[in-house]
Amino acid sequence: MKRLHRRARPDAFDYSRRWSLRALFALGCAFLYAPIVVLIVFSFNDSRRGGNVIWKGFTTEYYVKAFGNEELMLAFGNSLTIALVSTVFAVLLGTLTAVLLWRFRFPFKPLVEGLVALPIVIPEICLGVALAIFFTQLGWMNTGELGWPFNLTNITIAHITFSFPFAALVIRTRLQGFNVETEEAARDLGASEWRVFLDILLPHLRPGLVAAALLCFTLSLDDFVITFFTSGPDTVTFPVKIYSMVRFSVTPEINAASTVLILITLVLTWAALRCQKTVKG
Amino acid sequence: MAEGRQAAARRPWVFAAFALPSLGWLLVFFLVPLGIIFLYSVGENVSLTRVETTWTLSNYARILEPEILDLALRSVRIAGLATSICLVVGFPMALVIATASPAAKPWLLLAIMLPFWTNLLIRTYALLNILGTRGRLNEALGWVHGKLHGAFELVGLERLGLLEERFTPFTFLGTETGVVIGIVYVSLPFAILPLYSALERMDRSLLEASLDLGAGQLTTFRRVLLPLALPGVVSATIITFIPALGQFLTPDLLGRGQVDMIANVIERQFKGANDWPYGAAISMILLYATFILLALRAFADARRSAARAR
Amino acid sequence: MQRIRRPLNLLRTDRRRFVQAGLAVGFSLKIPAGAFAQDGKVNFYNWDTYIGEDTLENFTGETGIQVQYDLFADNNELFAKLRNGNPGYDVIVPSNDYVERMILAEMLMEIDHDKIPNIANIDPMFTDPAFDPGRRYSLPYMWGTIGIGYRKSAVDAPPTSWSDLFVSDKYAGRIALLSEPTNVLQLAMKAAGHSLNDWTDENLAAAEAMLLAQKKNITAFAPDNGQDLLLAGEVDLAMEWNGDILQVMEEDDDIGYVLPEEGGLLWEDCLSIPVGAPNVDNAHALIDYLLGARAGADIADFIYYATPNAAALELMDETYTDNPAIFPPPAALEKSELAIFPGQEMLRKIDEAWTRVKAG
Repeated sequence: MKRLHRRARPDAFDYSRRWSLRALFALGCAFLYAPIVVLIVFSFNDSRRGGNVIWKGFTTEYYVKAFGNEELMLAFGNSLTIALVSTVFAVLLGTLTAVLLWRFRFPFKPLVEGLVALPIVIPEICLGVALAIFFTQLGWMNTGELGWPFNLTNITIAHITFSFPFAALVIRTRLQGFNVETEEAARDLGASEWRVFLDILLPHLRPGLVAAALLCFTLSLDDFVITFFTSGPDTVTFPVKIYSMVRFSVTPEINAASTVLILITLVLTWAALRCQKTVKG
Repeated sequence: MAEGRQAAARRPWVFAAFALPSLGWLLVFFLVPLGIIFLYSVGENVSLTRVETTWTLSNYARILEPEILDLALRSVRIAGLATSICLVVGFPMALVIATASPAAKPWLLLAIMLPFWTNLLIRTYALLNILGTRGRLNEALGWVHGKLHGAFELVGLERLGLLEERFTPFTFLGTETGVVIGIVYVSLPFAILPLYSALERMDRSLLEASLDLGAGQLTTFRRVLLPLALPGVVSATIITFIPALGQFLTPDLLGRGQVDMIANVIERQFKGANDWPYGAAISMILLYATFILLALRAFADARRSAARAR
Repeated sequence: MQRIRRPLNLLRTDRRRFVQAGLAVGFSLKIPAGAFAQDGKVNFYNWDTYIGEDTLENFTGETGIQVQYDLFADNNELFAKLRNGNPGYDVIVPSNDYVERMILAEMLMEIDHDKIPNIANIDPMFTDPAFDPGRRYSLPYMWGTIGIGYRKSAVDAPPTSWSDLFVSDKYAGRIALLSEPTNVLQLAMKAAGHSLNDWTDENLAAAEAMLLAQKKNITAFAPDNGQDLLLAGEVDLAMEWNGDILQVMEEDDDIGYVLPEEGGLLWEDCLSIPVGAPNVDNAHALIDYLLGARAGADIADFIYYATPNAAALELMDETYTDNPAIFPPPAALEKSELAIFPGQEMLRKIDEAWTRVKAG
């Protein structure tokens, strides 16, 4: 929203312009990025062993190795695919859940509220084991014969299950700041339920949706435990692959692979933002 | 906040449209597997791979052993500390993002999330690299120490004994401090996102009004902004504290195996100890406790809004 | 009102597009087309960097069978994953005590020796172990020891006893142990003078007490990076697998590996076929190939662990065969023991003891 005129005194709530807060933000970012910088720097380290802690010399051979590592690239692709698909569904289900709990009164509602939060609480290994048993009982586990889609489906379902309550929580928080009068005004003016949802509620929800999507994407991309238990042959994801590689030696190859993943995700997000801009435009 | 404005019975189709997919999914893909875990928690190992539900409480009874309670207390303490730090650090950061210009916002959000798209294990190894006795942090601190010491010598202050002759590196790894740092590192975006979601496009007229009425910056912050952001703070606490309790990698690596938390015990039951009923029981306790807390809170909220409606 | 209808539409179409894109990505990144063929495939589940560089390619070249190669990080994960049922692996590589465990749990298929002519290559020492008499369910792949890695300049003489790690405070603050409860307690029992398989309540209690007393002198319970700590100079003594220490010995001449007088822990990784394997014949073919002389030599040359394959051993040179870290001297070997599976009851007690050690 453009300002029509400068206020007489600096906006009290224009926190992002305050130097003290900017400094704090920068400090926070420094903390967040320090290990990442170390990670990237040490991906060029010429050290085969020793945990890649001591700088030995510069080399790019590990990037070559990482790109040449077919399984690593495949795991990459699997992880990104699963993360994208599960984020979409998780945000969808999360929105439905959030609106459900926010808008409606129904019998046993406190019970449902408690239940919806459980996937956040349950230890990952417990959920992983439970889903593994569940899928095995269903006969969905040993489906190598059916080819790609099914194997990754198990993992995707698992990811959606544990991440949609996070989305619901974030979106519900957003709903709690919503001014219902806007909604009621629209209804008074004759808008249908559907229209109200699309044109009034959803736009307000957008920051919540974005936050939820980022959260779910992160949860999925980085998941190891649950994925480990629900995966089978030919469904290796990036964290699982890294985990088994790291057990033997922390080589710069792993750092190189991670740096590449960061770059790819950066590019994808930038592209998504650009698409959104043109769409909005 | 106008929660629960509509009785479900009044608009059953709309209600069903929202309830069926979400609760249906929860039922099929979560509650059913959870049921399996529950049955395991009251069961026993009958062979190396099979568990029979004998409706025994022996697994739950084992949780009352002193060492488990000790570990539980330690976990709550570490997770609590980490969550507090995340909130204190995360709130200003979320505030900055929420009040930034629309052009900058997505980039700021991206900036926060990007580190978390790196694999957890690799980030933890990077933290090992930084926090070790000969790690980057101690190197930096040692350098500062050296410079300070040199400066003191120059001025002739070294006799005051303010600074030691040699720099002793700090020990972060293998201590609770290291584990807390690790958990804060892993949990920070989980604190920032709900806070951001609550603060974004918050009703500024309220803040303006407060300032116009003569309240100072700090007062406005304390008595207007913070209460408005409260739902976000609560969500942030839940999303940060609970997964923090479930961390086992961080204590293993950053704690060098010296700072075990409750999740390490759970993990061991499902792996080395091959005692799935016991692991299931400990997990169920966490679930019961949280479920009861949240259901109670929801119940209290519902009573309050019903009272207000009358 | 020119409002944003898009949010929901975007979601719906994008969902389809995402799935399509995902499918496309998945298909395009998939390993060669032959992988879909049921009869030309075998699913091999192994430890990381535990095979020669070209071994699997050569196998495919010789037999035409495609290998789907997946990795796991430790025996416990392998067992936990297969416990519910086999998600489709044909050949797995468990360690000896886990082979024993899996045989008891009826998780392994009997191997048809007629399909494995290369079985003749195996050194007689490995053909009839206690954990799998007659080798009906497993065949040896690699073997090694758990001993003490140490920094030569930090000790007066190579450590001669486990008590240097478990009892003495000579190296306080410079000791790393493994983090696997069973292994640590086994070697604590050895430090106390018992066999590492002598799982009695008294021995366990004594080992637990020993560890609680020593805990203040221990720097780390390292899951896999004890050798890194040694190399970085954070510790001077590390309880570690010989292969890991060998790796860092290459980087630093000041590091050595030794089996103390009480002996160390002997382990053997084996090839097995889990029940429910979809490609049993191909599994046998793969195992037979890996037991070949050439393949065995390539693998040993690359991963530098000890091979049980006598025919492969003949193809190796002295830097390998005479390396005391790979092939321990007979005296030390004699006193080293293979671990047995302690049984479910004892596993629970071990875990409880370990929790007390960690919480204390």
